[in-house]
Parts: sequence; C-alpha cells; structure tokens
Amino acid sequence: MTSTGIDTYRRELVPALRAANVPPERIGEIVAEVESHVADTGEDPREAFGPARDYAAGFRRPRSRGSVAASVAPSLLFALCGFLVAVGIIGLVDGEPAFGQPAWVVLAAGLVLWIPALVVALRQSVPVPDPRTGRWITAGPAANAVGMSGVLVAVAVACWGLAVLTS
Amino acid sequence: MPLEPWPAEWLRATLPLTVLAVVAEEETYGYAIAQRLQAAGLGAVKGGTLYPMLNRLEQDELVTSSWREGAGGPGRKFFTVTPHGRAHLAERAAAWHTFTERAAGLLPSVGSSR
Repeated sequence: MTSTGIDTYRRELVPALRAANVPPERIGEIVAEVESHVADTGEDPREAFGPARDYAAGFRRPRSRGSVAASVAPSLLFALCGFLVAVGIIGLVDGEPAFGQPAWVVLAAGLVLWIPALVVALRQSVPVPDPRTGRWITAGPAANAVGMSGVLVAVAVACWGLAVLTS
Repeated sequence: MPLEPWPAEWLRATLPLTVLAVVAEEETYGYAIAQRLQAAGLGAVKGGTLYPMLNRLEQDELVTSSWREGAGGPGRKFFTVTPHGRAHLAERAAAWHTFTERAAGLLPSVGSSR
C-alpha cells in the first residue's frame, strides 16, 4: 500500500463525509480506522473499503432544513461577493457607475460582505482531528481564511486585467 | 462442496454476533478480528463491512474502543466488550443456537435426496 493511495483516498473521503453531514470528530475516527487497517493489511483502501463516496454514504446523517440552508449560505454569499467585487472593479477601470452607484461603493459592498461570508464558511469548516494524535488532518481556520481570501483576490485581479484589456 | 464464499445474507445475519464474540474473547483490533473470522472459516471480511459493524456495536454500548500507539505504525483502535455486551452475547448466542437447530431440523441432511 503506497502512501499516495491512502493520501488520495483520504482526500476523497473527508469531503464526502462532510457532505454526508458527519461531525468532524467522527470523520477523524473513520479516516484513522481506514489508515490503521490498510497499514496492517497492506491493502489498497479502495479495495478494502470501496470507493470513498460509497463508503461515506453509509455514515450519512439526515440534515434539518435549517442546516441545509446554512450549508448553501456560504456559497451564495461568496458568489455575491465575487460578483460585486468584479462589477465594482470593472466599473472603476471603465470610470462608469455600477447599478446606478459609484463603482467604489459596489466594490466596497462586495468586500464588506466578504466578512460574514468568511465567518459563516469558517464556522462550517471545523477542522477534523486525528484521534491518535489530536492534530488536525484538514486545514485549520487560518489556512482556510487565507485560501478563501486568495480566491477573492484572484477574482479581483482577473477582472481588473480583463477590464484593462477590453477598455 | 464449496464452503466459501458464504451467501452474503448469511454473513450479514451472523456478523454482529460473531464480531462481538471475537471481541469478547480478548481485547482486539480490526485487522485481528478480520483474521480471526477468516481463520474460523467465515471468509474474508472487508474493512468496509467490519468497521461500520464495530461502530454499531459501540453505539449500542456492547463494546468500547480506544486508540493505542502502534510500533512504527499509525496506531490501532482496540475494542473491548462491555458487561452489557457480554450479557447480550450470552443471550443472543443461546437464541441463535436454538434458531439454527430448528432451521436445521427442516433442512434435508447432507446427501439426502429429500
């Protein structure tokens, strides 16, 4: 069993378990069981446990309507932020208002909205602890915040470049 | 007569009790349980079947678990039977023997043309 095989399987299993509404502590247990078992047997995890998505489906927990709404809220907020930032930057470069407002107001609205979007997303992406070591096996809040902010910056830079090229 | 693989529904029916019986023999971990089941002639039980079963036994408070450091490995999850689990095993094992005896009484004996 190669470490690449178990690493790939873990990368597939963790998000599949998150999508199945499994709590972070339980995800850590399930991943540790897989790793421990394949270390003993030398098997490929896919062979021993089946495809990660299928294995995760066996642990699925029902979601309440509120938690379904909460799970899609960050994506909607991020999409809205990205849209406002993109429109604001393009308006600034072109020197034109956006939605009848000065472009900088729309850009600022997008940036301000980024804060609650980030807070909601971070609250939902609780790190997964490894029960054997207590360490996180997924990115912590700081890394997630940097990653998500990086996406926003990339969107802003791309829109700025596009606007400069086309204006 | 081919003994393995046993029909999947037979294994599904017996696995909770046989896994509990193996854990009741001594504190043990997943791979050792799978090996014990195979040595007993029940066939190879995959990790994807075994660990959800162990988790259900733990949820039902029939076993408890704890992680221990492994020698050079990533550590192992050891399972121990609880007093409730031991009582459950004794009760269900007795019922299982009665059940299989009654079922066997209806079946033709080996070599019989009935």
